Amino acid sequence: MTQAATTEHHTPVEHTTTGLNNRKLLMWAFLGSDVMFFGAFIATYLVYRGKSLVGPYPSEVLNIPITTVSTFVLLMSSLAMVLALHYVKEGEKNKGTLWILVVVVLGTIFMGFQFVEFREFAHLGLTPRTNIFGTTFFILTGIHGAHVTIGVIWMAFLAYSSNSGALRSDNALDLEIAGLYWHFVDIVWIVIFTVIYLISANDAPPPGMESVIH
Amino acid sequence: MTTNALTFPRFFPRPQSETGIWGWIGTVDHKRIGTLYGITSFLWFLVAGVEALLIRVQLASAENTFIGPEFYNQLFTMHGTTMVFLVIMPLSAAFFNWLIPLQIGARDVAFPRLNALSYWVFLFGSLIMNAGWITGDAPNGGWFGYAPNSGVTFNPGLGMTYWVVGLNILGVASIAAGLNFIITIINMRAPGMSMFKMPVFTWMTLVTSVLLVLAMPILAVAGIQLQTDRVYGTHFFNSLAGGDPVMWQHIFWLFGHPEVYILILPAMGIVSEVLPTFSRKPLFGYAFVVFAGIVIGFMGWFVWSHHMFTVGLGPAANTAFAMSTMLIAVPTGVKIFNWIGTMWRGNIQLNTAMLFSISFIAMFTIGGLSGVMHASPPTDSQQQDTYFIVAHFHYVLVGGALLGIFSGIYFWWPKFTGWFLNEKLGIANWALMLIGMNLQFGPQHWLGMDGMPRRIYTYAENMGWEGSNLAASIGGFILGFGILLFMINIVYSRMNKKIAPADPWDGRTLEWSTSSPPPVHDFDEIPVVVYRDDFWFKKHPETISEYYHNDHDVEDIAPSATQTAEEHEDDHGGHEGIHLPDKSYYPFILGVGIAIFGIGFLTNTYVIAAGVPIFLWGMLGWSMEPVNDPT
Amino acid sequence: MASLWRKLTHHDGNGWWNLPHTASNEPNPPHEGPIGGAWLGNIWRIMTYGGVSHAGPGFYWLVGLFLSIVTLIEVWLFDIGAVLGGWYIPLLLILSLLKFIGVVAFFMHLRFDHRLFTYLFGASMVVGIFIFTLLLLLLEFGNQPPN
Ligand SMILES: [Cu+2]
Repeated sequence: MTQAATTEHHTPVEHTTTGLNNRKLLMWAFLGSDVMFFGAFIATYLVYRGKSLVGPYPSEVLNIPITTVSTFVLLMSSLAMVLALHYVKEGEKNKGTLWILVVVVLGTIFMGFQFVEFREFAHLGLTPRTNIFGTTFFILTGIHGAHVTIGVIWMAFLAYSSNSGALRSDNALDLEIAGLYWHFVDIVWIVIFTVIYLISANDAPPPGMESVIH
Repeated sequence: MTTNALTFPRFFPRPQSETGIWGWIGTVDHKRIGTLYGITSFLWFLVAGVEALLIRVQLASAENTFIGPEFYNQLFTMHGTTMVFLVIMPLSAAFFNWLIPLQIGARDVAFPRLNALSYWVFLFGSLIMNAGWITGDAPNGGWFGYAPNSGVTFNPGLGMTYWVVGLNILGVASIAAGLNFIITIINMRAPGMSMFKMPVFTWMTLVTSVLLVLAMPILAVAGIQLQTDRVYGTHFFNSLAGGDPVMWQHIFWLFGHPEVYILILPAMGIVSEVLPTFSRKPLFGYAFVVFAGIVIGFMGWFVWSHHMFTVGLGPAANTAFAMSTMLIAVPTGVKIFNWIGTMWRGNIQLNTAMLFSISFIAMFTIGGLSGVMHASPPTDSQQQDTYFIVAHFHYVLVGGALLGIFSGIYFWWPKFTGWFLNEKLGIANWALMLIGMNLQFGPQHWLGMDGMPRRIYTYAENMGWEGSNLAASIGGFILGFGILLFMINIVYSRMNKKIAPADPWDGRTLEWSTSSPPPVHDFDEIPVVVYRDDFWFKKHPETISEYYHNDHDVEDIAPSATQTAEEHEDDHGGHEGIHLPDKSYYPFILGVGIAIFGIGFLTNTYVIAAGVPIFLWGMLGWSMEPVNDPT
Repeated sequence: MASLWRKLTHHDGNGWWNLPHTASNEPNPPHEGPIGGAWLGNIWRIMTYGGVSHAGPGFYWLVGLFLSIVTLIEVWLFDIGAVLGGWYIPLLLILSLLKFIGVVAFFMHLRFDHRLFTYLFGASMVVGIFIFTLLLLLLEFGNQPPN
């Protein structure tokens, strides 16, 4: 039964009103929904910016050089993603698999950066419970990190599929849709990097409120 | 084609049975899922109705001691939450499920398994939401859960945690359903059916789905923030740490006002189908009705602070939101005039569905007008938190959404089941509901004007409120008796089955062109659409010239439609080629995984870990399962 | 105005911003290149994989380079933030918007794809930006006492 079902499995001929694929439309509509999700978190962060009553304050903990590197890593994973899609579409299995793996590795490195950053902040005395900056910062970047994690798992699955030959040029759409998700996670980080890191990193504690001694 | 699809170990065979519990658990048929939605939300409707009646018994006399303040808080919280999230929204979803594929001439929704997932997640979410009744600490912070009252400081215990976790799970279901219907309506229409030939109900479903997809994430954010505040000690709404409880109000109403339109637009769509059918005229000003719906869907985003006029946002903000709120009454008014215009000089047939629809217009207008009253901040500061507000939104939600939905039930029941509901009992049902709701909510207008506050479990004897409150309570029981009559009607009509033909009302839209109830594959042949109200004009070609004045209008449409039809036939190869989506257990399994996550948030983090394997099993099985989706 | 709108929204307009088509079974469109002129057009064609279908690896590397450079500029602006005073915030927002558009338009293929995708995503961006900006303005300036 399983075998028969598998061999009969084929993608039916596309027949939709607009001629566009349903799943791809679904992904775009979902991303539109996710815009509102992240939008509300980012808006919350901005509303509460500078409202912390106790330290540590952003300028005391945010580490721009390191975050620049992790941002670069995530941006490059997006590049790897389009390249992977390109080669899978071209039917170049090995190159495709390789670039998907690059996405997985870069995504994992990004997660590692975030893990180290969170641990470092906790070490400096900043947790979600410390102050309103900690609350908004950890929840927003944590939710983003959760998105990255899901993306990495998804990509690892696709790397396996590509390697085993289940992901080919004729169903490269599977990868394209996953790619849309991945790029979206990337653009959210572009906004987070600017709004949280670059813009807030100058938010120094009020005089006499310094809490972190470097 | 050489396939090299990945396979996933299967623990039990793919569902095959059509009947029995496993048939329902494995179903992906939009009609059966619609039935599941309908039955589940009707049961919750009864629960919320009983809650309302308990409230009314308590308020029937002054200084009543029938129920205490604690229980009263739980009752009004759960009555509101249940009615909004577990009754009106899923009842609308039942109609979406049943009707959208039928109205656009499709064999199923775009993502049948996602559709099943929406239902299961909704079911589990609703159970978690109500779990507090069993453990004895039901949510008690109001349906809007205002912080800090909903925070752990003022509201310890699990009560509001049930609420917030339940709400977030329901949000998943709503977003999934919303996405599904957006794609279905955009992409699954029958050949020839352009956007402006879609039935108005389909249009309103599209607008509602867009609102769901964009508004529910905001509620999810509010929920996550409240949840982390309650469980993990963050400070989103903790003013001692620089948080701001007003932020909760902003985020909640950013979701909450679009939500209002999520509740009412489906009913507006239903009424826009019923009125033309029983007036024997096409809908008056179709484009206006559609655009008014779209405009409402857009403007609904810019009025949220009218729920916060008394918070102290400042005169500039209050003025701006007062104006946008008054402005949004305009497209609503446009619709009302179009419905009246539809009936004007129509050959009106007064049956139960039509009576419900007409009273929808009247009641919704009353509710809308009292709404415009508190669009004015000075007036609102008088009315805020009084029974006037309660009267307003009950006129909109009971007199509007619920009467609209009942109209839809009587209208489409023969299509859903193949037999009619009894008309005499139906009219009695309508009369009792209409009289009951007016007697219940009418007096609340002047109770509110007289200063009776909302959300109090009792009131003093000498306030002069007893008479009106007693009337309201009697009205509540009359309304409840109307609902009882509806159930009696179902049983009675089921026993004396009056078989319905495919097209019992001389209908206008495609769902009437297939048998009652429709076959599993909906249509033997996918219809080809030439006109708006295509089915009607094909039945009554003599009326075409009345409504299509320009001959080339029709010719423009016709050839392209037939051409598409030919292509279509090629694809499907006629009758034998009909393929229906395969049944699947994975939506249920995934739903169970999500439910376990929810239970984990309520109890112990380790439970979440226990949910992970089930969740992954569902995900992987789902993605590797061979499918026959209509894509 | 109408033609400008058409050029901005339709993929078959022929402005310099018009990038090659996606649909590869269409005949090759005449190539003007991204900023006009035969010389640049030639380079453009090589970059975009012969200019036939969607953009190719060379073009993607270019976008990746662009993203990295803009990020570096952003960090540099941050470093000299003290010099720029309050101005660096709008500058940073504009730069991140550029990156955002770069990824959405090219990596996510929106520029080469069916307009419906743009509308779906764009509509939610518009609603989101509108209401959250409104919210921020409201909380920033809303409750100042009247003069
Ligand atoms: Cu509102």
